[in-house]
Amino acid sequence: MTSAPEPGIPAPGGKAGRRRQLPERVSGGLSGARGAVMSESSISALPPGRPSRQPFIHQESLSLDSSCFSSPPVNFLQELPSYRSIARKRTTILSRDKQSGTLLKPTDSYNFQLEGELTEDLDSQSIRKYALNISEKRRLRDIQETQMKYLSEWDQWKRYSSKSWKRFIEKAREMTTHLELWREDIRSIEGKFGTGIQSYFSFLRFLVLLNLVIFLIIFMVVLLPVLLTRYKITNSSFILIPSQDVDIQCTVYPISSSGLIYFYSYVIDLLSGTGFLEDTYLFYGHYTIDGVKFQNFTYDLPLAYLLSTIAYLALSLVWIVKRSVEGFKINLIRSEEHFQSYCNKVFAGWDFCITNRSMADLKHSSLRYELRADLEEERIRQKIAERTSEETIRIYSLRLFLNCIVLAVLAACFYAIYKATIFSQEHMKKEIDKMVFGENLLILYLPSIVITLANFITPIIFAKIIHYEDYSPGFEIRLTILRCVFMRLATICVLVFTLGSKITSCDNYLCELCGYNQKLYPCWETQVGQEMYKLMIFDLIIILAVTLFVDFPRKILVTYCSSWKLFQCWGEQEFAIPDNVLGIVYGQTICWIGAFFSPLLPAIATLKFIIIFYVKEISLLYTCRPSPRQFRASNSNFFFLLVLLIGLCLAIIPLTISMARIPSSKACGPFTNFNTTWEVVPKTVSTFPNSLQTLVYGITSEAFAVPFFMIICLIMFYFIALAGAHKRVVVQLREQLNLESRDKRYLIQKLTEAQRDLRNRLD
Amino acid sequence: MGQCLRYQMHWEDLEEYQALTFLTRNEILCIHDSFLKLCPPGKYYKEATLTVDQVSSLPALRVNPFRDRICRVFSHNNVFSFEDVLGMASVFSEQACPSLKIEYAFRIYDFNENGFIDEEDLQRIILRLLNSDDMSEDLLTDLTSHVLNESDLDNDNMLSFSEFEHAMAKSPDFMNSFRIHFWGC
Repeated sequence: MTSAPEPGIPAPGGKAGRRRQLPERVSGGLSGARGAVMSESSISALPPGRPSRQPFIHQESLSLDSSCFSSPPVNFLQELPSYRSIARKRTTILSRDKQSGTLLKPTDSYNFQLEGELTEDLDSQSIRKYALNISEKRRLRDIQETQMKYLSEWDQWKRYSSKSWKRFIEKAREMTTHLELWREDIRSIEGKFGTGIQSYFSFLRFLVLLNLVIFLIIFMVVLLPVLLTRYKITNSSFILIPSQDVDIQCTVYPISSSGLIYFYSYVIDLLSGTGFLEDTYLFYGHYTIDGVKFQNFTYDLPLAYLLSTIAYLALSLVWIVKRSVEGFKINLIRSEEHFQSYCNKVFAGWDFCITNRSMADLKHSSLRYELRADLEEERIRQKIAERTSEETIRIYSLRLFLNCIVLAVLAACFYAIYKATIFSQEHMKKEIDKMVFGENLLILYLPSIVITLANFITPIIFAKIIHYEDYSPGFEIRLTILRCVFMRLATICVLVFTLGSKITSCDNYLCELCGYNQKLYPCWETQVGQEMYKLMIFDLIIILAVTLFVDFPRKILVTYCSSWKLFQCWGEQEFAIPDNVLGIVYGQTICWIGAFFSPLLPAIATLKFIIIFYVKEISLLYTCRPSPRQFRASNSNFFFLLVLLIGLCLAIIPLTISMARIPSSKACGPFTNFNTTWEVVPKTVSTFPNSLQTLVYGITSEAFAVPFFMIICLIMFYFIALAGAHKRVVVQLREQLNLESRDKRYLIQKLTEAQRDLRNRLD
Repeated sequence: MGQCLRYQMHWEDLEEYQALTFLTRNEILCIHDSFLKLCPPGKYYKEATLTVDQVSSLPALRVNPFRDRICRVFSHNNVFSFEDVLGMASVFSEQACPSLKIEYAFRIYDFNENGFIDEEDLQRIILRLLNSDDMSEDLLTDLTSHVLNESDLDNDNMLSFSEFEHAMAKSPDFMNSFRIHFWGC
């Protein structure tokens, strides 16, 4: 690449205006000729949109007239002002030629002018961002510092303070990376198994942190005042207001008496939250306090309890959305035609942090598989586009039928869970101490068992069904996963709704006495909390059991009994990311629903996820082999957070219904003096000063809500229209770029021909 | 296995390297230690050089299909000085900014060093990525044409730097995959 500007071509300048001079001056005279050439070439028959790209080996067969569309000699392109100004922006004042990478002397007036322009840019860019090696950066920094002398005091001080501020931020960031949990473990997993599986563990770490923060919120707001008062750390007392206008029967709460209890009932109590665990800090029923009176103020515990619930739900929503914004932005930018970008796979396909030979071989094979699968998908999509109308009708009716089957399967599972829950609840009330130990536990855990069984069977059924629906492979995978997600998360909702229906029905008529079935459920929130507790414990037990009794024996059998054909076919375990992710999202949904009914549940969830992290890590390292089909990290992150968001939305539904509709227990809990849990808020608002009250009532009335909704709709339509307009502009600009490039190639062709003629004539 | 003269790095040098690269203190010291173990005996670390083969056989680069290109881009006169190694580690570190990574990625992928990624370069990249001997011509040309379809905006069958930059800015995996943890730091 030449470093001196050739005569005839304007010197590379920093201003964009100079770049466009060459085409403008010349194109006017040649536009007629261009039109003539265009009509002769075969490519002019192409539509003005995207010209179809012919493979390069065929270009030699094109006619001479259209040879102007072949690639122009590259060294010519390197002389163009546009190329040089971009190259200059990348490496500033030094040429790309490493051999003569010397700094141009500042005494040269042309270079001085360059440096003068440069200092304007130096403010914004820190020196690390330059693509130079260290000695060159050192010299650049020296120039920068000498330039600083010519600035005013104010500018000097500004630059100095911004630099020290940036350095401080970096040091702080460095400190916080040391605090990052499990950093080394996740890095080693990344090196050995790739970024797909690493994203699963990062997701698990995120959930641990989320649960910890939720627990801290609940602790600060609800537990701390109660603990401080109970253990007499501060000089405060409980306020207990006896409930008025409530039937005395509603306030009866029989706590099981401790008499002669067998040892196994301790175990049962520990696993199901009954017995000695029922009246502890673990469950809602323990917090039968209407307020805490400190020295200077009164702490309204019911309001605090409700606000902590709303706070943790809002925090979870905000944090998940913030984390998923990255992935979502990228999904938006990608144009709709490309399901998976080839550029992404070719240029960013290789994980540069792989250090393991076997992992590298695996990565090569997975890339081969992925690229072939993508091309295959492309072919299938073309085939789908070419379907005849009767084929389309056949396919759609088949899909309708199969979707009905899917719905039927889902309905069957939900009905099974409903029946199991009712059976379990009814038999729990009978004398459970008199039953045999195993039967006891079976009845207590029946809903959990049925849910787990359903979650094992339905993915297999869905995988079979989707083969017949004739979708493209990528879409098949997504749809199966979505169906499994919905299945898993809806089962919890079904369980909670079954419980809700049992709570609000007293012998087949509406409960008029207290609003809920106080005979069977004197403190129904605690019972719901117990169900959630059981689900969580059972989930943990199942994960541990599967790892211990399925994964490890499988590995041992496959390693040592590999002579048996059966084991050879079965093969080693693969780490199935979607299933594992669904498992932990299921656990998190239980935690979200249960945290209202059992304030210590987030702490249990944190411990559970920590245990799961180590168990899964050990299982991965010792029993799994990496699967040939690898998940991409970028897609994974977005997918995980999307599933988590679905879980959060499904968790909010039962919570809102129980808070707003079902009357709160009058026998236990902080809301004994209110009709429903939500009633705390209107009662608190009525204690505000009048002006604030009218403001609050105004905001929540229809007169405000309807215009607000309409304005939001208008803004949304505006942005949709804006996006559409931008898209059209982008398409037009791409076409224009296309045409400019054709002009450029034509002109270069003409120029080379002219030079050749000149040289021939001179010889 | 020779060792350089064991000089502790001066505090000012450390500060300067921190200011000029994206590496943290610990990473610089780690690289310094490992460099000292590998370089020939009897030389001050600032003057010692490593050969391209030595750097290619580092655990971080040993299995990388593009290691020869990486070494070519970051070395001067086919040898690596300590600052070259630091520069390389800085570009591949986690804290490096996207524009720097895209710049060097472009240089690495430009096999014939003509300032553009043309079809020949793309074919070589794909062959290196897939690392298989039975590669059908159709597959290669298909993939090449798909890549060019997506990112070649001015239809000249080559990717210029701005087109490459534009494509990588949209690519979600680029920042994650263009990272190397040197020397287990």
